[in-house]
Amino acid sequence: MPFAGIDIGSTMTKVVIADEKEKVLAAHIGPTGAEHRHLALRVMDETIARAGLTFAALDFIVATGYGRINVPFSDKQITEITCHARGIRALFASAKIIIDIGGQDSKGIKLDADGKVSDFVMNDKCAAGTGRFLEVIAETLGIALADMGAIALAAEGVVQISNMCTVFAEHEVTSRLAEGAGVPEIVAGLHQAIAGRVVNMTRRLGLEKDLVVTGGGAKNAGLVEAIAAQVGFAVLTPPEPFITGALGAALAGKDLFQRGIRPQRPRQREDVTFYS
Amino acid sequence: MKANPRFYAGLDMGSVSIKAVIVNDGQMVASGLIPSGGQYKAAAARLMEEVLAKAAVALEDLSGLVVTGLGAQSAPFEAPQVSDISCQARGCHVLFPSARTIIDIGGQFTKAARITPQASIADFLMSEKCATGSGRFLQVIARILHMPIEAIGPLSLQAQSPVEFSTNCAVFAESETISRLAEGAQPADILAGVHRAMAAKVKMLVKRVKLEAEVVLTGGGGEDAGLVQAVGQALGLKIRVPETPRLTAAFGAACLAAEPTVKR
Repeated sequence: MPFAGIDIGSTMTKVVIADEKEKVLAAHIGPTGAEHRHLALRVMDETIARAGLTFAALDFIVATGYGRINVPFSDKQITEITCHARGIRALFASAKIIIDIGGQDSKGIKLDADGKVSDFVMNDKCAAGTGRFLEVIAETLGIALADMGAIALAAEGVVQISNMCTVFAEHEVTSRLAEGAGVPEIVAGLHQAIAGRVVNMTRRLGLEKDLVVTGGGAKNAGLVEAIAAQVGFAVLTPPEPFITGALGAALAGKDLFQRGIRPQRPRQREDVTFYS
Repeated sequence: MKANPRFYAGLDMGSVSIKAVIVNDGQMVASGLIPSGGQYKAAAARLMEEVLAKAAVALEDLSGLVVTGLGAQSAPFEAPQVSDISCQARGCHVLFPSARTIIDIGGQFTKAARITPQASIADFLMSEKCATGSGRFLQVIARILHMPIEAIGPLSLQAQSPVEFSTNCAVFAESETISRLAEGAQPADILAGVHRAMAAKVKMLVKRVKLEAEVVLTGGGGEDAGLVQAVGQALGLKIRVPETPRLTAAFGAACLAAEPTVKR
């Protein structure tokens, strides 16, 4: 029995198809465009093809992420907080705290003993502490975003970045460069600044083991290390941090289906040709 | 020859620009403004020279000089230093004796102060953590619109339906501006939306120092008629703007230089 989860984030659209044993059958990631519905369908179709399935064969489709309301072919919409918790719990049964660093927001999620969300904190009002902060500064430094983590880890010291605001930090970085500071040390300082921001935000939930870092930020080893240094213990990261929300969405759909809940309408491929 | 031979100078060394004012008999007789640039001290010395020449006074003939602003320590002269907010308060008080709240919107920082009828500071707050409340936000958006900063005010006043940004973050608003332009939004509506976001931030700051009429808006923000209007709407009252809003702190410094307490 295949279940699909689609997570439409600010920069990426992720789809996971999993079976009733919670095994991932296929996963795929595409960019989120201005016209969500077209891309959502394209990423969905690609994942279905990779799983060797058909659209009609999916038993349940759950949409999540900030673009979830724009997915006309989903059977249910569930918040990304719930889906991240579900996905992480499937990967790490011992997880108590989740820090999710996305392209345009960051979240802290607290799980109870049953793996349910008991509390969360979120910043989606300001670019500080999100992937956007690093993206903007990477551009200023002329470095690829994907290389930032490795560069930070090669630093022989840290240049403190005192501004939280991305706009002001950008200015601060150029001033430090002009003063002769090294790029790796500046990048290490930037990672420390982001880590400080998300850890301080999550501190309200209580920082305890096991703590899992997920989202695009978890792909950045320098950032993960900076977070571990701030919380004072080793943190875990999923093998595929981009897709934990989509995985959780697929599994949330499985849970609903196993409780006897069925899609409201017959779902056929034609249902969505209108949007393709 | 002037009736009163005493001339006083105020030098305001800000983060973005340096301002100098010469005062005679309580009146501004000469003034100048230049970008701070990398050669801070040299720029200040050059500006003072220019302004003194305009007033036809020699540096040694000044009866008093006060330096203020973020960069006051780098002043090219030995002179008493007074905080920029005290100078701002004095300058606004001289221009508008009924001023009780001062909002200074500069290139990097926004400040709000409540002053007493005697122009002493009753409460003061500065926003330095977030670009949204400051002129930097406008600079970021003006760059996308390929527009000089001076053109923003007049254009924004023609807005039909101001854009509502989903957050007040300057970074997110920058990308939102790009998508809105692609969707056909008018630059005037975008600018008016930026002004509203800034005004909301300014209102938060002003509320914390306790708003009291009359309100004077100084700094580069005072030159932006659209921003002045948005702040007035957000606060629900009329805003006073000095003729040269960027010079009020330097003017206040010169006024303070004439007072016995800070005289050399």
